[in-house]
Amino acid sequence: MQNAEIKNLLLRFVQSQLCCSLKGMVIVMKMMYKSKTNNGKAISRRQALTGYTFMLPWIIGFFVFTAYPFIYTIYLSFFEVGKSILGYDLVFTGINNYVIAFLRNPEFVPNLISFFIMELTYAPTIVIISFILALLLNRPMKGRSLLRTLFFLPVIVMSGPVMSQIMDSGAASLEGLEDIFIFMMVWNYSPWLAEALYNLFLNFSMVLWFTGIPIILFINGLQKINVSIIEAATIDSATSWQILWKITIPILRPIFLLVTIFTVVQLSLFSINPVADMIQNAIIYTAGGLGLASAFAWIYSFGILLLIGIAFLLLKNPKDTPAKEQKRLERK
Amino acid sequence: MQNAEMEGTLLRLCKTNYIGSLKGMVNKMKQISEHTLNWIKKGHLTKIVIYVILILVSYQFIYPFMRMISLSLMSSRDIMDPSVTWIPRGASFSNLRVAILTLDLERTLIGSLWFSSVLAICQTVVSAMTGFAFARFEFPGKRFFFIMVLLSFIIPAPVVIIPRMMMFVNLQEAVGTQMIGTPIPQILMTLSGQGIYSAILILISYNFTRMIPRSLDEAAAIDGASPFQIFVHIILRLSISPILVIFLFSFVWNWNESFLTATFLRDNLPLMPGRLAAFDNLFASYGQTSGAAVSPEFRLNEAFRMSGTLIAIMPLLILYLFVQRQFIRGIENAGITGE
Repeated sequence: MQNAEIKNLLLRFVQSQLCCSLKGMVIVMKMMYKSKTNNGKAISRRQALTGYTFMLPWIIGFFVFTAYPFIYTIYLSFFEVGKSILGYDLVFTGINNYVIAFLRNPEFVPNLISFFIMELTYAPTIVIISFILALLLNRPMKGRSLLRTLFFLPVIVMSGPVMSQIMDSGAASLEGLEDIFIFMMVWNYSPWLAEALYNLFLNFSMVLWFTGIPIILFINGLQKINVSIIEAATIDSATSWQILWKITIPILRPIFLLVTIFTVVQLSLFSINPVADMIQNAIIYTAGGLGLASAFAWIYSFGILLLIGIAFLLLKNPKDTPAKEQKRLERK
Repeated sequence: MQNAEMEGTLLRLCKTNYIGSLKGMVNKMKQISEHTLNWIKKGHLTKIVIYVILILVSYQFIYPFMRMISLSLMSSRDIMDPSVTWIPRGASFSNLRVAILTLDLERTLIGSLWFSSVLAICQTVVSAMTGFAFARFEFPGKRFFFIMVLLSFIIPAPVVIIPRMMMFVNLQEAVGTQMIGTPIPQILMTLSGQGIYSAILILISYNFTRMIPRSLDEAAAIDGASPFQIFVHIILRLSISPILVIFLFSFVWNWNESFLTATFLRDNLPLMPGRLAAFDNLFASYGQTSGAAVSPEFRLNEAFRMSGTLIAIMPLLILYLFVQRQFIRGIENAGITGE
C-alpha cells in the first residue's frame, strides 16, 4: 500500500530525527571531555561537568517536554489517534487531518483567520502605544512612578478568564463606537478593515493592558541610550523630532524586536483566542481527536512562528546602525 | 493733501481721547504674548499636553476596573436602567456575597495559594540553578542551550501540550497512579524548567548572578567550598531580592495560568481562574442549591459576573499593593534589554 510506504518513511524520518538529537547529545558529551587548551584540562572538564550538573534538570526537561513533543506533534498530525486499554493506537491517515482542518471543519479556518487578524492589529498597536508611553514616562515629571505602577498593574491580574469575563460584560469597550464618522467611512470603503479596527477599539482597554511589560522594557532601553550621542546631535542642531527618528528608534531596534516577539507570544497564550480553545476542547473532550488536535496545533503554531519570523526580518539590525555605534562608544 | 489732513485729525483724536487706553492695550498685549512665549519656551505647554495624554490613557487603563467596581455594586434593576451609568442607586454588597459563595472563596483561595506556591518554589529553584550554570561555568554547548532557552519561550503551548499529555497518560498507566487530574504533571514540568515563562525567569537569574563578583566564588573555592556550597552560601545568599522577584513573578503567572491547568489538572482542585471561567455554570448550580433561583432578582447578569471577577483578582491586587516595586524592578533588571 502507498499509505504504508509513507508511514514507513515518516517513521524513519522521526527515528532519524531522534537519532540526530541523540547523536548531537553524544557529540556534546564527547566535547565535554575534550578541552581546547592543554592547560588546565582537568579544571575545565570539572567546570563543564559542574555546569551540566546544575543545568541537568533543565536539559532533561527541554528534551523531554519541549523538543521531543515539538517534533512528535508533527508526526502525530498525520495519524488518527485512538485510545484503547493498552494505550494509544496510531492509524496512519496521511494528510487527512489537514484536509479536515482546512476543508471540512467549519470553525477552524474562520477562527484561525480571526486570530491572525487579531495578532496583526493588536501587536503593532501594543508596540507603538507602549513605545509612545515609554517616551512620555521617560522624562522627569510628577506622578511618574504612580503612572508606572498603574500601567504595570494589568500584568499582575491579567488571565484568560478575567479578560473574557470583562470583555463579555462589555466593561472594556468604548461607548458609541459605531457612530463615529471616520469609522463609518472606513466601513463603506472596506468592511474587513473596518471589522479589524472595530475589534481593536471594542476592547481597547484590553489592548492597553498588554502594554505593561513592553513599557518597562522600552523605558529601560531608553535609559541605556548613551547621552553623548544625543548631545552630539543637539550640537549639530538636530531637532528632537529628528533625534527621535534618526537616533532613538534605530538604537531601540533590538528592543522593538524583543517587544514584538513578546507581544505576539503573549497574545497567543491567552485563551481569548478561539483557536487555543478549539485545541483544548479537542484534547479534553474527544478521545480520538488527538491527531486532528495536533494538526490544529501545528497549523496554529506554524502561523505564530511565521509571524515571529516576519517580525524578526523586519526588525533585525541592518549593518552599521546607531546601535552598533553605541556599543562601540561603550567599549571605549 | 487730504490724506495728511485726515491723518492729522486722527492723530489728534487718538492723542486726546484714546491714546491712554490704546497704549495700555498694546502694552498688555505685548506682556501677554511675551509671557506665553516664555511659558511655551519653558516647556509648560508640552508638559500639559503630555499630562493630558497620560491621563486619557490611564483613564482607559483603569476603565475596566472602575466599571467592574461600579457594576458589582449595582442591583439587577440598576443594570436594566439606562439612566444609571456609573453610580448605582441602591448600592449594596449582596452581589459580592453571592459571588463569594459561588466561587467558594475559601477553598478556591487555599487551592490557588497552595498550587501556585508549590509551582513557584519549583520554578524559582530551577531558574536559579540554570541561571547559575549559565553565568558561572564554561561548557560545550552553552551557546546552543542558551539559544534553546530563548527559543523555548516562543514555542506556543498548544504545539507541545498533546504529546505531553499522552506521555503522562502512558506514564500513569505504567506506574498505576493517577496523574492527569493531579498537580503532578505540572510540578514535574516546572521542576524540569519547562514551566510558564521559564525563559524570562532564567534570564533574570542569569543576569543577577553575573552581577555578583566572581572573586567571591574564587575565594570560597580556595577555602575548599564545593560548587554546590558556593551556590547555596554565596549566590543564593547574595541574591535574596532577585529570588524574591522570580518567586513573585512565577507565583502570579502560575496563578493566572489557565491553559495547562485546564488540560492537566482539570477541575479536581478549585483554582481561581478555572472557577471564574466556569462562573456561569457555577452560578446556576448555586442558585438551584440555595433556592435563590426562584426569586426574579436572581438572574445572571453583568453585576454578578463583575463581582466574581473582582473577587477573583482581589488577592492579586492586594499582593501587588505591597510588592509593586519588586515587580517593576524585576523586569528592569532582567537584562532582557541588554543583549
